[in-house]
Amino acid sequence: LDFELTDDQLELQRVVHDVVARECTPATVRSALDGGDDADRLWKTFVELDRPSLTVSEADGGMGLGAVELVITLEELGWAADPTAFLATTSQYVPVVRACAPAEARRSLLQAVCAGSTGTVAFAADTVTARHAGDAWALDGNARFVLDADRADEVAVVATVDDGGVGVFVVPGAELTATRVPAFDGSLHVTHVDLAGLAVPTERAFTGPHVEAGVARARDEAVTGLATTMVGASQHILELVLDHVKQRHQFGVPIGSFQAVKHMAVDVFVAIQRARALCQFAALTIAEDDPRRTTAASMAKAAAGDCQRIAARHGIQLFGGLGFTWENDLQLYVRRAKAGELLLGTSAEHRAQVGRAALEVTR
Amino acid sequence: MKLTFDEATEQFRRELSDWLDDNVPDPATITEPSRSTAHIPAWAQEWQCKLFDAGWLVPGNPPEYGGRHASIIEQFVHHEEMGRRRITPSFNPQGLTIICPSILGFGTEEQKRRWALPILRGEMTAALGMSEPDAGSDLAGLRTRAVLDGDAFVINGQKVWTSGAHDADVILAFVRTDPDAPKHKGISCVLVPTDSAGLTRRPFGSIVGPEDRDFNEVFFDDVRVPVENLVGPLHEGWRVANGSLGHERAMLWLGFAEHLDDVLDRGAAALVEQGRSGDPLVLDWFGNSVIDATALRLLGFRTLAKTRKGTDATELQSILKLFGSEAEQAAALHMLEALGPYGLDHTRATSSPRPLDIKLFTASWWERYVHSFAGTIAGGTSQIQRNIIAERILGLPR
Repeated sequence: LDFELTDDQLELQRVVHDVVARECTPATVRSALDGGDDADRLWKTFVELDRPSLTVSEADGGMGLGAVELVITLEELGWAADPTAFLATTSQYVPVVRACAPAEARRSLLQAVCAGSTGTVAFAADTVTARHAGDAWALDGNARFVLDADRADEVAVVATVDDGGVGVFVVPGAELTATRVPAFDGSLHVTHVDLAGLAVPTERAFTGPHVEAGVARARDEAVTGLATTMVGASQHILELVLDHVKQRHQFGVPIGSFQAVKHMAVDVFVAIQRARALCQFAALTIAEDDPRRTTAASMAKAAAGDCQRIAARHGIQLFGGLGFTWENDLQLYVRRAKAGELLLGTSAEHRAQVGRAALEVTR
Repeated sequence: MKLTFDEATEQFRRELSDWLDDNVPDPATITEPSRSTAHIPAWAQEWQCKLFDAGWLVPGNPPEYGGRHASIIEQFVHHEEMGRRRITPSFNPQGLTIICPSILGFGTEEQKRRWALPILRGEMTAALGMSEPDAGSDLAGLRTRAVLDGDAFVINGQKVWTSGAHDADVILAFVRTDPDAPKHKGISCVLVPTDSAGLTRRPFGSIVGPEDRDFNEVFFDDVRVPVENLVGPLHEGWRVANGSLGHERAMLWLGFAEHLDDVLDRGAAALVEQGRSGDPLVLDWFGNSVIDATALRLLGFRTLAKTRKGTDATELQSILKLFGSEAEQAAALHMLEALGPYGLDHTRATSSPRPLDIKLFTASWWERYVHSFAGTIAGGTSQIQRNIIAERILGLPR
């Protein structure tokens, strides 16, 4: 068993970190909040550097790397509170298309990603139905809290098919109605999607027995991907806090010399170590198609939830009044870390899932 | 990154596993329990000797000291396989895992033959004399004095928390030999036979119960110890201490992982039996503890890999100790409280004992919970670990 990153993976981590530290600064995120076009420019940079194609197979025109490389990348993007549709494209859309689309459709959709188009997934089997309508399919219902459906080039809608089972229907973003939710993390595009009888041609409709399993597998990757961005954001919070408590003097000494402060910082640090290890483990089970993958993804999301909670709480507290200001960049990463907690299952839901899985074995 | 060990390592595991299948003592022969961490009943001594002879006692040692030159990964697999079966190689764990490595690492050939060998073979047991009434977390502030008088040290002072001292044949004691030197520089390490004149051992009960007598106060009143019992150079006992604790630390986390696994295994059975396994609050903490157990192993593997590559992983051990001991404690606490009135039951039976079960694994939930403080207090408290991590890893000012 080898649980260390390889030299190539460490190099990838360094390269991605350098890119986001340079291209996705707090000013970039703030400009995206103000409605500027920085997110679009940043996305173009990622495309030029072949980042969105990371896990697309070489045969389909991508880099052919795996889930471990994806989480390494996504942690750095979470660190930077990336305002683009990278997370949804790489950890949701690509896995769904890869697992559910037949070869020809897969190739053309994924080649488009490599060329710079974005995508997302509406995991909405509970609220969206698909029915045959002449030569095509029609989708009804709505999907809530979908990432980036207002700006993605393609939206893969997971729906319940009228004759049973689950299908994936890839809809051009321009064709559907998506309303942005006024989320507290304004650099994240959270949307509601309304599908009133939207027609989808058969070549963009993927159904069959493999689709349900494919969606479940893709969801593991989505959960792990989101968890990993929370770890990255928490890491950034910790770095800001450490800089602050080393510099800030009270009573004539740096406040970081007080044990009360040290111990809070250490608890954040340990929570990050725990969550990061579990994100990488989940990625490894996905990469190796290990049967523990779904539980591992839940562990990662639950641990990332624990980690953001303590990082946000101690982070703001240790900055004192300065942590309470809009001007301090801390808030950008607190928002990103906390927003992740609320999507794709909270930490409490995932903990219960892990608990249930463990106790069921006994029963 | 890989999820599996390589074939050679798995081959090592199979070999050990097969040997254990054939050699673990028949439960019918196990009559007398071990009463302290330095008491090895006759049947257990035979078992320890068998492991020694087969090279499975301390696989990292050379064959003449009960090993087979196993690599660190193989040592880990050995530890893991024994833990998985909940069997212990020795009922004198500090003798095996702290005192012998100190003698083998710092002692003379004569000391290895005279002390390490019998301890490894279970013919002799050893206790570790470190803490004192006024030297706990500040261990280097220890005050027990040893003065050279001709060919002997004359020792005066007191140790406390000396596990198993009342049953031990020898104490590896850390004593101040140079009171004028800075506190880390004037300490030496000596082997003190417990039948020495002037040595008094007074066992006392623990929070587990008055009958749980493992800890001792040890009083030294003009105890004469021959100078050849000095382990390592004079005044360099702190180096030996760090070495000893280093041995203690390297796989310490695996002990927490095994305790945690056992709480979860036997806890799951108890929760199902009491019809509490579907309670949402139970699912929450149980899920959390399962996550802790997984994360602890992952972080442990990573540290092990660093150790294998020769990277100094001392600070990383602090993370594992802090996290592992607190995770074990949280699981034991939740388990105790989740059982409602059944948690009150203090008969020694969270399960029927298996061969070579360490005592903790058959303890009541109360005992498991209070025992978990051994992990958060002994060997550097959680607070000390947080200071170490803050200063040495996070770079916060002292």
